[in-house]
Amino acid sequence: MSTMEGDLLHTVETGSISASRRFWGYAALWVSAAWFAASFMLQSSHDLGWTQLGFENWRPVLYAYFIWAAVLCATRVVIHGEAGKKALFVLPAALFVVSMVVFPLLFALWVGFSDWNLASPTGRQFNGLDNLRQMLGDAFYLNALINMVYYALAIVVEYAIAFGLALLLSQEIVARKFWRVTFLLPLMLSPVAVGWMVGKSMLETRFGPIARLARWLGWENPSFFGDPLTAKLSIMVMDAWTFIPFMMIMLLAGLQSLSREVLEAAEVDGATKWQRFWQVIFPLMLPVSVTAVMIRIIFKLKLADIIITVTAGGPGGATDSVTSFIYREYRDRSNVGYGTLLALVYLVIIVIGMTTMINISDRIVKRMTGRI
Amino acid sequence: MKLEVYDALMRRQASRRDVLRGTASAAALMGVSSVMGGLPARAFAADDVRAQILKIPGVGKGAPTDADWQKVGELCLGPTKANVKQGEFAGVELTFMGLNNQNLHNFLFRGFLKPWEAYTGAKINWIDLAQADYNARLQQSIATGTVDFDILEMGAPFEGDTAGKGLLSEMPDWVKKQIDIDDYVDYLKPPVGTWDGKTYRVTIDGDCHNFNYRADYFKDETLAKAWKDEGHSGEWSVPKTWAQVQEVSKFLKGKKDPLSAGPAYGYLDPYKGWGGFGFYFLEDRATAYVKMPGDPAWLFDPENMKPLVNSPGWVRAIQEAMDLLSYEPTDQINADPGTTGFQQFLAGTGSMVTWWGDIGQQANTSDTSVVGEVAAFDILPGSEDVYDRKAGKWVKAKDGVNYAPNCAYLGWGIYVMARVESDKLKHRAAWSAAAHLGGKDLAIWTAMYPSGFQVHRNSQSKIEEWVAAGYKGDYISNYLKSQFGSYNHPNRAVEPRIPGIFQYYSVAEDELAKGYGGKYKSAQETADAIAAAWEKITDQIGRDKQLKLYRASLGL
Repeated sequence: MSTMEGDLLHTVETGSISASRRFWGYAALWVSAAWFAASFMLQSSHDLGWTQLGFENWRPVLYAYFIWAAVLCATRVVIHGEAGKKALFVLPAALFVVSMVVFPLLFALWVGFSDWNLASPTGRQFNGLDNLRQMLGDAFYLNALINMVYYALAIVVEYAIAFGLALLLSQEIVARKFWRVTFLLPLMLSPVAVGWMVGKSMLETRFGPIARLARWLGWENPSFFGDPLTAKLSIMVMDAWTFIPFMMIMLLAGLQSLSREVLEAAEVDGATKWQRFWQVIFPLMLPVSVTAVMIRIIFKLKLADIIITVTAGGPGGATDSVTSFIYREYRDRSNVGYGTLLALVYLVIIVIGMTTMINISDRIVKRMTGRI
Repeated sequence: MKLEVYDALMRRQASRRDVLRGTASAAALMGVSSVMGGLPARAFAADDVRAQILKIPGVGKGAPTDADWQKVGELCLGPTKANVKQGEFAGVELTFMGLNNQNLHNFLFRGFLKPWEAYTGAKINWIDLAQADYNARLQQSIATGTVDFDILEMGAPFEGDTAGKGLLSEMPDWVKKQIDIDDYVDYLKPPVGTWDGKTYRVTIDGDCHNFNYRADYFKDETLAKAWKDEGHSGEWSVPKTWAQVQEVSKFLKGKKDPLSAGPAYGYLDPYKGWGGFGFYFLEDRATAYVKMPGDPAWLFDPENMKPLVNSPGWVRAIQEAMDLLSYEPTDQINADPGTTGFQQFLAGTGSMVTWWGDIGQQANTSDTSVVGEVAAFDILPGSEDVYDRKAGKWVKAKDGVNYAPNCAYLGWGIYVMARVESDKLKHRAAWSAAAHLGGKDLAIWTAMYPSGFQVHRNSQSKIEEWVAAGYKGDYISNYLKSQFGSYNHPNRAVEPRIPGIFQYYSVAEDELAKGYGGKYKSAQETADAIAAAWEKITDQIGRDKQLKLYRASLGL
């Protein structure tokens, strides 16, 4: 083993790689890369109808990619020796991300800017910005986006309830563990099951127990999905019932990690219960709160299962979410190109929206907690 | 099996698989024999087979199980044995793609085909799909050129997507004979039974919407008196036209249900979308107004594929559905056809509903039905006038009332994919399996018991067979009359089998939801929005190609 200057602590082998080893390493890498690129180009040409030569399907190209990826990893060590081994800690994960995230995203872009109705005999046709233009004039998509704003705003109420429940469960109450598990149960249910159990059974207007209770309370003809406002509220309540426990458990964990000394000091200083909450607990909980709300927003933006099960977006689109609309566009109408573009635009909106919100909330947290 | 017997068989060169297969067959036969009261001493005549299978397990004796399906499959093997030698398909593997709705469809096919597999030596691999996934899976397979199945259970409306693209195998003549294809009801014969003059479908179902109503409502003296007292014209009776359905439904608001004493309701419209299937129910109303006798076109203009959905006949149907909304149960706007048929009508809410034949099948056999004693059936209501699209005006119906039963979905069929044609043995095996599932005797069993399939053969109209199986004579006569009356009606409205037909229905459901929700100013505006959306789909799929296939599906 030779030694050299540099990171001596972590480097156990350096500088002993022969020129021929490097040559064969590079040769293997370039051959595998060339094979992968050639098979990709050949199959692309075949699919685009430029050549007759090609494979029956894309599987050989996939195999070429696997081989190239394996050779890339192996040649890191062959070419760079011990230093190359460091890359092996990251490279497989990076290749996995490229395969499972970056490539599908690029493929989605390729599909999203095309006219591809699965029933069309002509197959996929590139159509430039037509899908984007169609989207701008699509009243259903716009309606669904507006609905999402309302759904997202409901998180404010959900947060308040979740915080209240978390405070309650952090107290020394009887059967505290039992209540914690009980409050978590809705989160364990599938939203589809919630849709059927609550939306289509308990809220059923004739025999549903909640409808009966409403009748007993004097509501002559209880209707939970009959008009747009009630239907939207009913969907919000069902979704909130499912996911409030999620926020509650995050906030509860945050409450339990608060320093008891700080709380006791506030009490000793004569702070009232409200002052202790508003001026001590709430600011200290802000980082956890922001995380909980952000994750909840991400969940909310994917809202679809309950809507598809209970209202199918009705009445008159009042409960439609972007995801439930895309689902109809894609599944019922096989409109793959347009559906994919709608999903991509939604992704961009979410990324921009979430980034902005994180920045804003970060500033608020810093201001309120005094951290610069 | 004793070891010495096994050893003896092995000495005779019997493979382990043959031994196991033989054991399975013997076990199946023993199972059958217990039902039949002893081992069969001779091949049964067709009538004997029918009499025996219809008692498995017997109407009112619980839901059939896998053992029952296998027994029925074994007893119906006669036609297969006449065409295929035992073990002829040994080594052949087939992939079957179908549905698993309500534990029916593929679940039954597995049982029916198990004895067929044991006899022929073929093996079947299964792809089970939920209804919601079916369309997407099929369309993706077609569009991406990845058809990975040999036999397909498919609704006839998808023939435009499959036969229209050359993906199906044409039915051989020996299969036509084996399944007795001439026994199909009229409307399932050519042109509906063929695509471009060729036969691809082994029909196992005959879908058509009929009119289900509560006989007790229309025999109720209190309601009859109220009808007179309120000054309605004519006697209190079952509506024969959609105008009467409207009048009766509005009259019933505020009255008492004769069975439950709860609120009485008339017709039940499904206002909520159902993956495209909900549009059939608007068609039920519309066909009486737009389907002219002698003119097969009622959805699109066969000259240019322009939608007819915004013509005055369709607008009247949409307007009537809008008008009735406030007279129907609370939250009806959130009711899909599953709700109207099963959660409402069968559960005792409402007095009239249109549906496929399932309502009649289940009214007397389902545990959740409370209307078994009072359910009655007819063909869809008609109209005294009809919109003549060619003349561009409303005309009086020739016979007083224009009836146009809606042949919605045209029924399920078994199809063999063209990809098996390169292998003669596989091709023959696939068609043999399809013919077994579409056999004449097997078909009467599936029509009588829960299967998801309804009557579709003329031979299924023998009342005595249904009565022998346990059905009540009057009930089944009334039910079958509504079914066959629809199928064989000269002015039946036949669904066009064009590619993407459910895309048209699905987008129409979205626009209708907006119309019903008050987002459009009128029924006409709603209809215009549907027409505009349909035009977009036609242009996207390809107008010329669509027009050609549309005309072919109408037999033009």
